[in-house]
Amino acid sequence: MAEVNIQRLEKHYGAFHAVRGIDLEIPDGEFTVLVGPSGCGKSTLLRTIAGLEEASGGSISINGKVVNDDRPRDRDVAMVFQDYALYPHMTVANNIGFGLKARKMPKAEIEKRVGEAAQMLGIVPLLERFPRQLSGGQRQRVAIGRAIVRNPSIFLFDEPLSNLDAQLRDEMRGEIKRLHQDIATTMIYVTHDQIEAMTLADRIVLMRDGLIEQQGAPLDLFERPATTFVAGFLGSPKMSFLPGRLGARDGQVGVAVGEHFMPLPQGRAPDTVKGEKSVLLGLRPEHISRAQGEAPTPGSVRYDALIDLVQPTGSRSYATFRLGREPVVAELQAHDVSRAGQKLALDINMNRASIFDAETGRAI
Amino acid sequence: MAARGSSFLSQRRLASIGRYLLLGFFLLFVLAPIYWMFNTSIKPSSDYLAIPPVWFPDEPTLVHYEAALFTYRGLQGIINSLIVSLSATALSALLGTLMAYSLARFNTGGQHLSFWVLSQRFLPPVGIVLPVFLIYRNLGIHDTHFGLIMAYTVFTLPVSVWMMFAYFRQMPKSMEEAALVDGWTRWQAFWRVAVPLAAPAIVAAAVFAFIACWTEFFFALVLTGRTAFTLPTVFRSFIGFQGAQYGEAAALAIVSLGPSIVLGVLAQKHLVRGLTLGAVRG
Amino acid sequence: MAEVFRITPMEAAGAPPRLSSLAAWSERHFKWLLVAPAVLLILALSIYPLVFSLVVSFINYDFQVPGHDFVGLRNFERVIADPVARRSLVITAFLSGTSVIIEFGLGLLVALAMVKSFRGRGLVMSILIVPLFISPVIVGQAWTLMLQRPFGPTNYVLSQILGQEVTISWLTQAPWLYISLILADVWQWTPFMFVILLAGLTAIPNNLYEAAELDGVGAWDAFRWITLPHLMPMILLALTFRLLDAIRMFDTIFIMTGGGPGTQTYTATYYLYTIGFAQFNLSQATAGSWLFLIFTALVVILLVRRLLKVEPV
Repeated sequence: MAEVNIQRLEKHYGAFHAVRGIDLEIPDGEFTVLVGPSGCGKSTLLRTIAGLEEASGGSISINGKVVNDDRPRDRDVAMVFQDYALYPHMTVANNIGFGLKARKMPKAEIEKRVGEAAQMLGIVPLLERFPRQLSGGQRQRVAIGRAIVRNPSIFLFDEPLSNLDAQLRDEMRGEIKRLHQDIATTMIYVTHDQIEAMTLADRIVLMRDGLIEQQGAPLDLFERPATTFVAGFLGSPKMSFLPGRLGARDGQVGVAVGEHFMPLPQGRAPDTVKGEKSVLLGLRPEHISRAQGEAPTPGSVRYDALIDLVQPTGSRSYATFRLGREPVVAELQAHDVSRAGQKLALDINMNRASIFDAETGRAI
Repeated sequence: MAARGSSFLSQRRLASIGRYLLLGFFLLFVLAPIYWMFNTSIKPSSDYLAIPPVWFPDEPTLVHYEAALFTYRGLQGIINSLIVSLSATALSALLGTLMAYSLARFNTGGQHLSFWVLSQRFLPPVGIVLPVFLIYRNLGIHDTHFGLIMAYTVFTLPVSVWMMFAYFRQMPKSMEEAALVDGWTRWQAFWRVAVPLAAPAIVAAAVFAFIACWTEFFFALVLTGRTAFTLPTVFRSFIGFQGAQYGEAAALAIVSLGPSIVLGVLAQKHLVRGLTLGAVRG
Repeated sequence: MAEVFRITPMEAAGAPPRLSSLAAWSERHFKWLLVAPAVLLILALSIYPLVFSLVVSFINYDFQVPGHDFVGLRNFERVIADPVARRSLVITAFLSGTSVIIEFGLGLLVALAMVKSFRGRGLVMSILIVPLFISPVIVGQAWTLMLQRPFGPTNYVLSQILGQEVTISWLTQAPWLYISLILADVWQWTPFMFVILLAGLTAIPNNLYEAAELDGVGAWDAFRWITLPHLMPMILLALTFRLLDAIRMFDTIFIMTGGGPGTQTYTATYYLYTIGFAQFNLSQATAGSWLFLIFTALVVILLVRRLLKVEPV
């Protein structure tokens, strides 16, 4: 059980500034996912928490104690590596028990714990095998077993699913989530995959260029992205961004995209609009649907779209059309759209639309 | 089309005949001196000057082996060579692995330290051996196993370090990191995880160090005398006595070929790395 | 793998026992403690001797006579003024240069012949590398046995092939003795070239040749435009490494010609060895070896540094 408190953390590699002054509080028992594109500093941050990298500045505290100068062994953390880092020259049983051996635990006690862990993970028949004889999924279970026999105060995961094929990845993701439900230990998980982040996290910390871009509950980030970067990173297919001008027309506040004026419903529009402002209008595919009935539902804008690309996925189809000059993707029922060149009336739900300052990229 | 196809084929056949001819000649070139040496070693002295040469003696004999090993103290040379080569190999592999790990994992001393070690490999031995000879005389360790072991350790270190350096560089470090997180110290992670994982490379580096020591002549020539002399230096005894010692020289050569060739051929997978100090992976 | 696991948390194992202060100290200085033994040994047996030899080269060193005079650059001047010394440098350059070029050409041919697999390739490979594991002394001995008149079979075989009596004194007569020395070196070290070049050839992706064949490129052009450029880093590496070893040539000469007749086959190393250990003129020998060292160091710095940049380790 542990809470982690990070203050103004910095990490340099020579001239490269990997982490640029991060403040982060991770409450006890929370599943935190550090997510971002490669090179954003998420792995470095995780490794610094583990003690595998030395902080260049700032502090890391675990349970209120500053651990900057503690060796990894003294931090009571466990880590699941991208390649699992199982010891190839040891059996599964020895792999799992290796951390206990470091604690000079009696042999019998180690065996007992390893047995229990293997029981819980369903890998008892594998105990005498070597890592090279295991499948990807089995390796991950061993890696998890290595952590749970110690019951450390923090679990760290460094992209543990990125080496697996798509199907196994979905399965293993479920296992990790279940693990957290069962033991409720603080977990910090690094990934570049936004779906992993969304599905696993109690809280997502979205990083970019060594800084935290936004943090919060997954749905908060998804629905109220603070910046275009966050909005673009989360969600697939990506949010479409339309350059436009925010202003009032006929007493209604809205965004003009090309010649289309798209009024914003009450509550979504900013309270005061002085003159006009360059903005980016962000529309998610799932916020656009096929028009139903005579008039659009309140808060929606009807648009007669000329579809120029259809990508069916089975249950849904992604249709691309142009609004003004920009392409926009809509997620429609599979049978709502059949082919490119089709004309289709669409309702755009402006209640859910995001508006960003065109210069700063920050949400308005 | 058909004509073109067949001429193309015959061109290929010609090329492949050329290939086998070349390889055949080269094999002959490589094997001839070794065979002749073997032939000499079992040939009675009376066959030496026969014309045409005796390609295989009618009455093979082992007298030359006996003389080489006992009269010319070849056996003592073998024993000394084993003592010196094995000790220096063990030291070189150990120190080389330690240093290489530090260079590969922590970039210790930056590029300078690794280049400095590498440059030792290219120092002309004659520049080192003269002063070492004087120093050894002053210290009283001239013509001792210890002195030669130390010299050979330094002599083989660059190759050991660089071979292991290249190996550690391409070995993932996550297993050692897992050990650190698991509660072990760096030393323990090194001995219990990194060293066992690098064992094949350490063995390969040791094999090349052993071959280098076993076949070395110049240092042994200068740094040893009547006591600690190694096998290659025994061949001094066969110089200058026109003809009389051919059999003994050949016999001793054949005896000394065994260990290094067997080890070398066994380690051939690592040969490219050994020859290029790990610069090429092979 | 489909069954669902349930984890009940175990008792926390906590952190391992604290380190003793000595262990903590050695942990802190881990990376330096790892390099220390090797560095100290190299300092003691390579750097200290070099410094010591520099001192010796500036004085008048003699075992028998205690106390030494400082003689300035006189030892260096003597070496430079010695025609045998200058000639030995030329001989070194000639023997090593010629050997290395022949080894390279022959090694490249054999490597090209070995690149495609055929039955028995593994065995041929094992035989071809054997010379690399033989002491140069024994190589010298083996070729002495092959060439020495009247014992060796070489003259006899040549007579049979040429159909006329051949009576070459391979080890005592110029230019044959140079050829003999080069022959021994080529025998021992062609495999070195061959092994490295073969590794380079094997690393060239085959689809380049397939694409070239589809484009109608001939064998020679494929060699010129695909093989050579890809092989170039390896060629440079092999040539440099080999050359730096070849200029130390000593062992085969010691056995085959003893530097003679006269001083005709003195290489730099052989010359310095003779000055130091036959004439016991140690100061002059150390001065000479420093000159040779500087000469080698220049080659190392020029060639090896560049190479290691070409070929990232």
